[in-house]
Amino acid sequence: MKTELTHKCIQGTLLAALLFNCGTGRDTADKAASFPRAKTFYMGGMQCGAPNTFNPLNDLPAFPVGAPMNLMYEPLMVFNTLRGSMDPLLAKSYEITGGAVRVVLEPRARWSDNTPVTGADVKFSYEIGKRFKESRLANIWNFVSDITFDSVLATDGTSRLCRVHFIMNKERNNPLQILDYFQEVHIVPAHVIEPLLTQSNNDFSAFLKNHDFDQNPVVSGPYNLSNFSAEKIVLKRRDDYWGNAVYHQNRLARPEYFISSIFKSNDHYSIALQQGNLDVSQTFIPRIWLKKKKKVGTWFAQEPFYPPGSIPMLCVNVTRHPLGDKRLRRAMAAAINYNDISELAVSGYSPPLKPGLILPFGVEQKYYSEEDAVKYGAVCNPGRAKEILKEAGYVSEFDGQGNLLRMKDPAGDIVPTIFVKSPVGWTDWEIIVRIAVQGMRAVGIDARESFMDAGLYNQNLQVGDFDLLLFTPSGSSTPSKPWSRFQATLSSRTWKPIGDKMNENQGRYNNPSGPDYLPAIDSLLEIIPSLPENEKLAAYRKLNVIYMQEQPTIPLVYRPEFFYEFSTRHWKRFPTEKDPYAPPQCLCIGAGTNALWEIEPVDGQE
Amino acid sequence: MLKQYPALRYVLTRGMWYLITFFVAVTLNFLLPQLGASNPVDLLMAKVSTGLDSKAAQEKEEAYLKEFRLVEIDAAGNLLRTADGKPVRTPLIKQFRNYLQMCLHGDLGTSFLNYPKKVTDIIFAALPWTLALQIPTILLGWIIGNLLGTLAAYRRGVFDRVVFPASLLISAIPSFAFGMLLVYQFAISFEIFPAMGGYAGDLIPTFSGAFFSSVAYHYVLPFLSIFLICAGGQAIGVRSMCIYELGTDYVRYAKWLGIKENKILLYLFRNAMLPQLTGLALSLGAMIGGALITEMIFSYPGLGTAVLTAIQGNDYPLIQGCTLLITTSVLLANFSVDILIGFLDPRVRAGHGNQ
Repeated sequence: MKTELTHKCIQGTLLAALLFNCGTGRDTADKAASFPRAKTFYMGGMQCGAPNTFNPLNDLPAFPVGAPMNLMYEPLMVFNTLRGSMDPLLAKSYEITGGAVRVVLEPRARWSDNTPVTGADVKFSYEIGKRFKESRLANIWNFVSDITFDSVLATDGTSRLCRVHFIMNKERNNPLQILDYFQEVHIVPAHVIEPLLTQSNNDFSAFLKNHDFDQNPVVSGPYNLSNFSAEKIVLKRRDDYWGNAVYHQNRLARPEYFISSIFKSNDHYSIALQQGNLDVSQTFIPRIWLKKKKKVGTWFAQEPFYPPGSIPMLCVNVTRHPLGDKRLRRAMAAAINYNDISELAVSGYSPPLKPGLILPFGVEQKYYSEEDAVKYGAVCNPGRAKEILKEAGYVSEFDGQGNLLRMKDPAGDIVPTIFVKSPVGWTDWEIIVRIAVQGMRAVGIDARESFMDAGLYNQNLQVGDFDLLLFTPSGSSTPSKPWSRFQATLSSRTWKPIGDKMNENQGRYNNPSGPDYLPAIDSLLEIIPSLPENEKLAAYRKLNVIYMQEQPTIPLVYRPEFFYEFSTRHWKRFPTEKDPYAPPQCLCIGAGTNALWEIEPVDGQE
Repeated sequence: MLKQYPALRYVLTRGMWYLITFFVAVTLNFLLPQLGASNPVDLLMAKVSTGLDSKAAQEKEEAYLKEFRLVEIDAAGNLLRTADGKPVRTPLIKQFRNYLQMCLHGDLGTSFLNYPKKVTDIIFAALPWTLALQIPTILLGWIIGNLLGTLAAYRRGVFDRVVFPASLLISAIPSFAFGMLLVYQFAISFEIFPAMGGYAGDLIPTFSGAFFSSVAYHYVLPFLSIFLICAGGQAIGVRSMCIYELGTDYVRYAKWLGIKENKILLYLFRNAMLPQLTGLALSLGAMIGGALITEMIFSYPGLGTAVLTAIQGNDYPLIQGCTLLITTSVLLANFSVDILIGFLDPRVRAGHGNQ
């Protein structure tokens, strides 16, 4: 018996050792086996699951190749979500002139193989969308009709600078959208990628399967890929990064290694952050104030802890009776308890909700009008909701305990139950929906939750198969906000009937061939991007007033664009509201990356 | 036929049944994920389509449908379209044929959600971790549990009064709760073991002492969470089997004959072991699915989470690859135990010989 047991143990151990060999032989690119803590920066929450590819032309590549991360590949400019400015990166500056947006390239920008970043690289990167219809960049060519570049004499009179001209499509004169692309589209090295495209016979999907980018890719950013596995992605600092001299007074980024740790659930990111095994995390951690004693900090020291960046809202399918009735929609907006949503569903990480589609703080504040909000907006007021319903002719019947039995429309017909769709398992969203339903039922609107498979949910959203549905239109903070939020919510530009897929205005509001069509909405959406700054406020106010009066969707709460929480166990001087030298963009996005040059190791070692 | 070779005949009939089961299982593996109304491309599109207008989103979606061979194309590679301009979806039966063809070439396809990663790459990167955690743990748990259970049944007395209730208690704790208790107590309160991962965050897998000692250190809690429950369950099972066997005539007869205690214990063990072997086969076969909870709790590398995210994301090729693996391992484990029992237990062989 004993010998058999020993035998089995040995067998097991051997097997285990053997299997580890198979598992580890695959992805070792760098022989360095360990990373000194004082020189290593750990971040989590930007990469879910094992890395798929580091090909910069893939739609959803692994961290940090995807937009808007700029550690390896860089965009022309970066968006500073604090100041609302476009900060220079590969391009020094931009100007919008009649019919074109021009950028001047930074002449000192270099690829990691020491070749300069040129106008040809910029043209090549954007023209990927013209050459390959299946590329995500194809959409750019709806707004840009041509890209050219030339060289001009610099102000010093001797050196020459490269200017790139983005000629705007005359039918869609939209510089805002082009600015969005400036900070989103990564410039890739034409001299590396063009041969690879030729190698795959210009077959884009064959090119996307190319593994050449997994080792020593040619990049322009401050870090490069060193090693990756299903558990982490390791980036090593490039000490010859061109930007050190141009933007950082010849200093190096402080962390020598930048590691993106991949865990299997939000709880693990939370524990790792509290134990100091992560320095920054981009994950939802409930009741973050309790983690303060574990040296975990956030942008704001108090509520709402995170700066708001997007608005989850109920999309209303106006083609479903009686949801086409704006009085009902306004009654819904007045029935929901937004404070409960903020406190119970999102841990208080939301300032009080104001009516309308413009964020009343930060970069968008200049377009917000408190006066209009008070005059036209719906706020939580169940009594008012009941009045609106009564005035509109809706009748609700309750049982003895105050439970809603049925609701009748003004014609006296029973209103079929209105279902609110939301993906199952997104717990914060589920609570938001429950609170919204509770509020609506209390005033007599027959609403119910409907949690469903996420794939089906997305399909239902696009084809318009829903009554109400929780979604976040255009959730990222980009230079085109709040215009792009309005566009995603209200635009009838690509209007399609129910059953066909729409990627904006999925509630089919404002049917261009319907009797109640409001042309003002589409024309405002069309002209705002090209208006001079001093005329934008009036146009935005007009649009927001129409939105508040019509209530085509029902905003519920504010959410941060990125959760940004940091641990001060190993690094200090993270950007915060009190020390806002860089925006809260997790030290790897947009202008937030600059913080990598400013943080300091806690133990003072270099 | 083959009457003169009962052993071979036994192996062949069992093998044939397993082959049929395998084919049915593969068909179900293919069909079940596709019966739902949702489509993996919709999920992909939700992530990719932000900022695209409807027309660009439609073009993007059609490119994906084509890439994943979900729509029909003509010889020039263009999409076939119905009269109203929508792409023609590939019929399920044709997809199944493609799938079988690819499987025969050892190609399990490309994952939708991890595009452009191959399913085989994902599985082979994750599988070693799952096997290295599960196989030794289950085997050790099985052996130790059975030894303890047999001893407890035979010795009775104080030993049994400790082992039996302890096993009962441990095996009654759900494995996820037990794992979380271990993490809370040893990783968060006492901070003596790491809370997560298969190795330290500042290491990359290499052949080095540091890496292997880190793996061993991270192995302890996940190992305990499976081992204790497995051993407890086995001990209870084998204890009752042994008590039953102790009451049988052959044991009493052997005792009357004055045969040595160890010899009787061996007879007892052999007889009580047969159902336990079947249990071992089942748990070894099911370990990939069962690994999920351990991996989630300890954020341990492995295949379990790949299965979970694949299912949540309707990633058909990955689901099919994983279920194929699970099916194969369950069937193989059962088949080998069937054969093993056939050889260990003359009664089974005899029964088949008489058919």
